[in-house]
Amino acid sequence: MAQRFLSFAAVIAASALALTGCAAGDAEDEKTTVSFRLWDSTVASAYEESFAAFEKENPDIDVKVNIVGWGDYWTKLRTDVAGKTMDDLFWVNNSYFGAYADSGNLVNIDSALGKDAREGWQDSVVDQFTRDDTLWGVPQLYDAGVAVYYNKDLIEAAGVTPEALADLSWSPDPAADTYLPVAKSLTRDSAGVPATDPAFNGTAAQYGTNIAYDTQAITLPFIGSNGGVYQIGDSFAFSDPKTVEAFQYLVSAINTAKVAPSAADTNTNSDFSRDAFLQGKMAMFQSGLYNLKNVADGAQFDWGVAPMPKGPAGRVTVTNGVVVAGNAASDKQDAIAEVLTWLGSEEGNSYLGKTGAAVPAVESAQADYFDYWEGKGVSVDPFFDVVEGAPPIPAPTGANYGKGFEAFDPIFQEIFKGTLDPKVGLKQAEDAANAAISG
Amino acid sequence: MLAPSLFGLAAFLVLPILVVLWLSFQSWDLLSPITPVGGANYADVLSDPTFYNSLAVTLFFVVIVIPVQTALGMIAASLLTRGLPGSLFFRTIYILPWVCAPLALGIVWRWILAPSDGLLNDLIGSRIEWLADPALALPSVAAVVVWSNVGYITLFFMAGLLNIPQHILDAASIDGAGPIATFFRIKLPLLRPTTFFVLVTSIISVFQLFDQIYALTGGGPFVVTDAGTYGRTDVVASRIYSEAFATFDLGRAAVMAVVLLVLLVVLTIGQQLYFGKRTTYDLS
Repeated sequence: MAQRFLSFAAVIAASALALTGCAAGDAEDEKTTVSFRLWDSTVASAYEESFAAFEKENPDIDVKVNIVGWGDYWTKLRTDVAGKTMDDLFWVNNSYFGAYADSGNLVNIDSALGKDAREGWQDSVVDQFTRDDTLWGVPQLYDAGVAVYYNKDLIEAAGVTPEALADLSWSPDPAADTYLPVAKSLTRDSAGVPATDPAFNGTAAQYGTNIAYDTQAITLPFIGSNGGVYQIGDSFAFSDPKTVEAFQYLVSAINTAKVAPSAADTNTNSDFSRDAFLQGKMAMFQSGLYNLKNVADGAQFDWGVAPMPKGPAGRVTVTNGVVVAGNAASDKQDAIAEVLTWLGSEEGNSYLGKTGAAVPAVESAQADYFDYWEGKGVSVDPFFDVVEGAPPIPAPTGANYGKGFEAFDPIFQEIFKGTLDPKVGLKQAEDAANAAISG
Repeated sequence: MLAPSLFGLAAFLVLPILVVLWLSFQSWDLLSPITPVGGANYADVLSDPTFYNSLAVTLFFVVIVIPVQTALGMIAASLLTRGLPGSLFFRTIYILPWVCAPLALGIVWRWILAPSDGLLNDLIGSRIEWLADPALALPSVAAVVVWSNVGYITLFFMAGLLNIPQHILDAASIDGAGPIATFFRIKLPLLRPTTFFVLVTSIISVFQLFDQIYALTGGGPFVVTDAGTYGRTDVVASRIYSEAFATFDLGRAAVMAVVLLVLLVVLTIGQQLYFGKRTTYDLS
């Protein structure tokens, strides 16, 4: 609101200047300001550096970075597009770009930058954002796969070695499950009694793992590594028996084995587990590279990264990319194309890697990222090996994904709380979500 | 000289209402062009059980919040107008929640009511899921709403009580009325215009309750049935927000807003009629 008021005030001030003939010199007038919106403040500072270099080469273009938090991002994007107050460039992800591409709100990258532009970009990201044979955004970052951050002090205290962590497998069959027993031995109540001990009081003060309703880091990888499906095409397929099995395993780990925070804590606070891990109250934190910098900056203890647990169908992760899209309704298309070209170039994209913020989606710029983390003594291999080991489960998608999400989200919350049987709930969620996207 | 204020009224009050009325007959997802659909949105919303759930939840809030906050406001006002030591201090304290942004207060209360490491659970030493337990969520949110409103209501009752001429109270006391009789026979009837105002404005504000819900529960916890998913704290305003800005069905949201408007108008006229029939004492 304040921002809109400021821009309104700026327009008034500018027109007042023009009216009184006090407009600034011509050189100033020719400078085009292009605005760029994203949701991640860590990556935003890398972009600031990238745009500083860009502006040196292109003194006639000024790029302004706006951060809109994830919680409001998709709502604000939609209302700003409708209200014609959208920024000239903005981040979009795989789940939400479809609706904007279909309604003609995004710049067609193939015609703005040429079909050859995609040559140097990460293929998986290009594929995700190609709809009707057209690419709708310039790949910016690549999420690779999911792995497990672990607290060295806590696993050592429980007699678990990093090698043992790397070798865990989960299974709906308790006889084949080595993951849950380890998670239990890493869970402690406030008196320090592990969950494997009958004297465990049932309330964890130290969590073994971060199993929760977290689509990217937990739900999809567990579904995938059990051989289940999430969507078939754009429609939802939660009632798949393998998917149901994966949910039953997760829900019982939270509510029966009590090795993870309760859903009442994590459903409405997606940072709960990350905070608990950083506070040294969680042993295994399964997540993506998007949390690497948070962990590296925030952890006051020795930590490491292990591969995600193997499931009956192997290690299957989800992988995601983020692109920057151009606003087709903007009247600054030339400047937008120039900034997009920069962001899709090795140099322009390299700042994301140099600062360790994210894996650049321009392949030739990725070395900077690996160099950065190698310099810090961190091996990011587990995040990449898992993608190469087995085909990832597709990331959520569809032109109406948001509508479907609103229908199944409350149901998933209740399933994870344990108030709703997974099998019954997943069928209801599937029906509700499919009804929502068709309606 | 009315023109400037009329402009404000038209631009910021009448025009938006007309736009919402018009939108309630359209289909719009904020991306595609707006298309007229006649009464389809009305048929859709009025046969949707989740909307009736929201109306019921809102009514529950009114039934819990209004009597409690009015009674507490009146008690606080009676105590604060007695000239006891510390009155000024408590007057300031009571009004503080009303001065603060409801959304910010909602976030603070979420910390206080958090199941793990929440302030309240730490204080009482047991783990209660105040906002996630289906039976507790609505009363917990209602308590936060009452807490934020009481100070504001106290302020009006204090003004009303201070307006009662001392000679009337003196006469009552000479006639042998004790403090309880004085309150119910003298003060309460003389406060009628204040009570009317407080009830009308606070009922409307509870019907429009949104910020605290958004910050505390997001409409949950949820009861899932084959017919639909019902939020235990999913009040009408929160449903309108979800329809408009989560599923982007502006037409349905507009219908709900129109229904809410009609309900509030009917309710306010009803209150007016009820209080209008009672005697209002002229104290001037």
